[in-house]
Amino acid sequence: MNSNFRVRNFVLISVTLYLLLSFAASWVGFPWLKRVNLIANVVHTTDSSGVDIVAANGDTSAPLQIEKIASKNLELYKLPKFITNFNSDTSRPALFSFAQKLHDLKSGKKRKIRIGYFGDSMIEGDLITQMLRRLMQGEFGGNGVGFVPISSPNPGARATIIHTFSNGWEDENFKVNTTKDNLYLSGHTFRGADDWVRVKDQTVKDSNAIIEKSLLCGRADHSVEINVDGRSVTINAPDVFNRIPLVNDHATAIKVAIADESFPVYGLTFESGSGIFVDNFSFRGITGVEYNKIDSNFLKTIAANNPYDLIVFQYGVNLMFRPNDKNFNWYAKIVLPAIHKLKNAFPNADFLMTSTADRAFNYGGEYKSAVGIDTLIKVQAELAYQTGAGFYNHFETMGGHDAIVRWASATPSLANKDYVHPNARGADILAGYLFEAIMNDYKKLNKKK
Amino acid sequence: MPTFDLPAFLQEFVYDQHNPLLFNNGFFVFFFAAFIALYYAFRNNIKTRRYIFCAFSLYFFYKASGEFVALVIISAVVDFFLSNAIYRQTNKGKRTFLLILSIIFNLGMLFYFKYTNFFIAISNEMFHASFNPLNILLPVGISFYTFENLSYTIDVYRDELKPATKFSDYLLFLSFFPKLVMGPIVRAHDFLPQINEPYKITETDFAKGFFLIISGMFKKLVISDYLTLNYVNYIFDDPGRYTGLENLFAVYCYAAVIYCDFSGYSDVALGIARWLGFKIPVNFLSPYQSKNITEFWRRWHISLSSWLKDYLYIPLGGNRKGTVATYFFALLFFGGVFFSCSYLFNFSYIISASITAGLLLLFVLPAMIKKGKGGIPAGLNLLTTMLLGGFWHGASWNFIIWGALHGTALTIHKIWMLITGKAFAKINNRWWYNAIAIIITFHFVCFCWIFFKAGDLPTGMIMVKQIAFDFKGNVWSAFFNNYWPVLGMLALAAVLHAFPDTLADKVISSFTRIPLIIYILVFFAFVAIYGYFKSAEQVLPIYLQF
Repeated sequence: MNSNFRVRNFVLISVTLYLLLSFAASWVGFPWLKRVNLIANVVHTTDSSGVDIVAANGDTSAPLQIEKIASKNLELYKLPKFITNFNSDTSRPALFSFAQKLHDLKSGKKRKIRIGYFGDSMIEGDLITQMLRRLMQGEFGGNGVGFVPISSPNPGARATIIHTFSNGWEDENFKVNTTKDNLYLSGHTFRGADDWVRVKDQTVKDSNAIIEKSLLCGRADHSVEINVDGRSVTINAPDVFNRIPLVNDHATAIKVAIADESFPVYGLTFESGSGIFVDNFSFRGITGVEYNKIDSNFLKTIAANNPYDLIVFQYGVNLMFRPNDKNFNWYAKIVLPAIHKLKNAFPNADFLMTSTADRAFNYGGEYKSAVGIDTLIKVQAELAYQTGAGFYNHFETMGGHDAIVRWASATPSLANKDYVHPNARGADILAGYLFEAIMNDYKKLNKKK
Repeated sequence: MPTFDLPAFLQEFVYDQHNPLLFNNGFFVFFFAAFIALYYAFRNNIKTRRYIFCAFSLYFFYKASGEFVALVIISAVVDFFLSNAIYRQTNKGKRTFLLILSIIFNLGMLFYFKYTNFFIAISNEMFHASFNPLNILLPVGISFYTFENLSYTIDVYRDELKPATKFSDYLLFLSFFPKLVMGPIVRAHDFLPQINEPYKITETDFAKGFFLIISGMFKKLVISDYLTLNYVNYIFDDPGRYTGLENLFAVYCYAAVIYCDFSGYSDVALGIARWLGFKIPVNFLSPYQSKNITEFWRRWHISLSSWLKDYLYIPLGGNRKGTVATYFFALLFFGGVFFSCSYLFNFSYIISASITAGLLLLFVLPAMIKKGKGGIPAGLNLLTTMLLGGFWHGASWNFIIWGALHGTALTIHKIWMLITGKAFAKINNRWWYNAIAIIITFHFVCFCWIFFKAGDLPTGMIMVKQIAFDFKGNVWSAFFNNYWPVLGMLALAAVLHAFPDTLADKVISSFTRIPLIIYILVFFAFVAIYGYFKSAEQVLPIYLQF
């Protein structure tokens, strides 16, 4: 028997039923049918988007109270590619003392300018900072990759160094700190029983450059014997934080071995005698709150022995760990002391807070910016306003809402399909915009003069 | 109160590059219903029915790829005339000339659209030139219909096929919408005779077609899409951020994804064809059940491997002799191995040379064991076939490396059989021997998938490195707690794959006639499951090390 009529019957009956169901769903609204609704594209329902977005209600804390100052305008935080200190008069540099230091360097003075770039996994692998460093050093001079931690979870991914190390390093950090050690700005402290680390700086293009390679470490009660490039070297580390120059020559690589578990070490640093340096302090999964745990005196010793001129504070993406969160007032409360602490410890540094970059979630089958992202960025801007810091908006700069979705689907792609992390290409773009904003801010200094 | 949006409604009928037509678009449901209604109404008017079919197929192609629909029509016209000219031509030289013309036309089109930018990049690298890559989009399905065109004219040239006399027959063969986008590659001698047959299907055809469509959709839309969005993309985009354990599971998941994707699409195509009275040969036969790599290639993308065998491997000389092309590609390959060892992996010349010589020895070994010269070109022909077969998948070194790995593995398997064939005769049918063989084969195939999927070679190497040197088995419980829905989906894929291929046929044939209501219920159950997983809360990536 020929069963061809059954194909017709099945298809026509099923499609009719499906269509009726879709109409019914448009009227009544079955949320799970939304993504498979046959007429979703052509029939619009008046009730919101059909996806219920419930803000996390566990948090009832009051929003940050900010003082209204007549000469200031909070709304400036919304501008893309722009550094603001919220002054309504935007003709002066927002990062004034930093701009002056840049001017010194530009006018031929020999000095070091150090930028500490604090961030989460968004800057892991020297992302953003590698391009920012290259552009800054191209403009103002300087050679060297800056700070390198003893070990890292993903050493192969960092293109600016070749990083190898032994497996025995004991690593105390923001997540696991059983000995309650002082943790460095990188969030880590290392101890080596019979361990080594080798770093080759891949950023130095000028073969005549003299690169000073230093060890950053904590206090040692007695003089310590370490091994540098095969030679035994005795060092003294009297302060809670020390910067100990090891080798000062053309070499761009150094190998250091340490066999003293009582001696806390943080990392190595590569800097030429003069110029601008960008230190990458990335730590996965954190929000910046962690810096409140670091002892103030320890921070002040860092400021004395290895001073910073600009601190960039880029967090936020890890606050959006649930798709429907809309309230971040709790964050404002706990991060405020951390910002104050860093600002107080580094009084000679300008402080630049950046917004989070875009992050998207799957809302009923479609990737969109986190529903809470506008609120979060406003909170971040208020924190900057309140603490007198500068502010820079990565989110608006990269294109605002759903930018990360566009970046991930671009050819070639600019972001990973986790809709969180811009990749190296995307990070270079972000760095380029930030550099442009810094330069625009700096140029206001010359216009004033 | 819902409102009807007329402009949006009209826009639905036009090609949208952000939303090309696939089997899972809402639009396809209406498209298919309209098509079935017309196809059935004119089932006895063969000519009208054929025109309707052509029109719907071309419209499908337009909705899937916009103006590139013109390419299908142009290549149908060219190959239709060339094949008939070859058929009528009695002069051997002129026949060969016409065939070469057809090959140049088809491969030229494929090369232009698919490989131009790849070769621009290579010449930029080799000659330090800086040609700008061209803004060329890859027309959907071009790899498939180019091969169909080639096999068609070659078959006519070989006097194995009488060309289609009606243009619409040929156009339909080429544009047949169920297989247009992702295959399978259909052969004209299978397909052309079915076009003008009466529309007749049995109860089993209806049931089997339904099963193929629903199970294919399930594999593609539920399993593959879920694993891709909630796991595979995270890891493959940036493997260095994740532990070896996570990387290993990403490879397993990708093995499931590519199988479900590809075979799912093929199954839907086969199912729809079955409902319309066409039988297309099966394209996948539970490939991960293979006990060796040779068997894998008899079960994986069968329409491609048989095409490569008939139109590449055999013309190259097959397992008997070598041709100029055999040695040309072998030279390219061994040169490439040496070159990549020394420049890509920074090995010394001596080490690079010994690796190359070792590989060369592999391809000579079968001949040495059998004490006959014939084995050498056979191995090299197979290697060439796999290299070009890899390259067919995409214009990138990854696919060439993938093909080279498979080609080498096929030769190693051949040597293994020569060495152990007699010695292991007693054990090589035991269950535990088979189990070990399946596990080894599966893992080798997975290893190759790394290079198939990874964005570039360094990314693939990072994955291998993470799995080998940064495994971190101790993160298992945190891993499981976060990704259990993903692991559940992977387990489901594994269980479905483990069923014997004949099981579905057996179950279907045990029923004589299933009431329509059951089909409808199963269909809506599928829609509900699809809807559920499409809007299910996303599994977010986490960090397992700091």
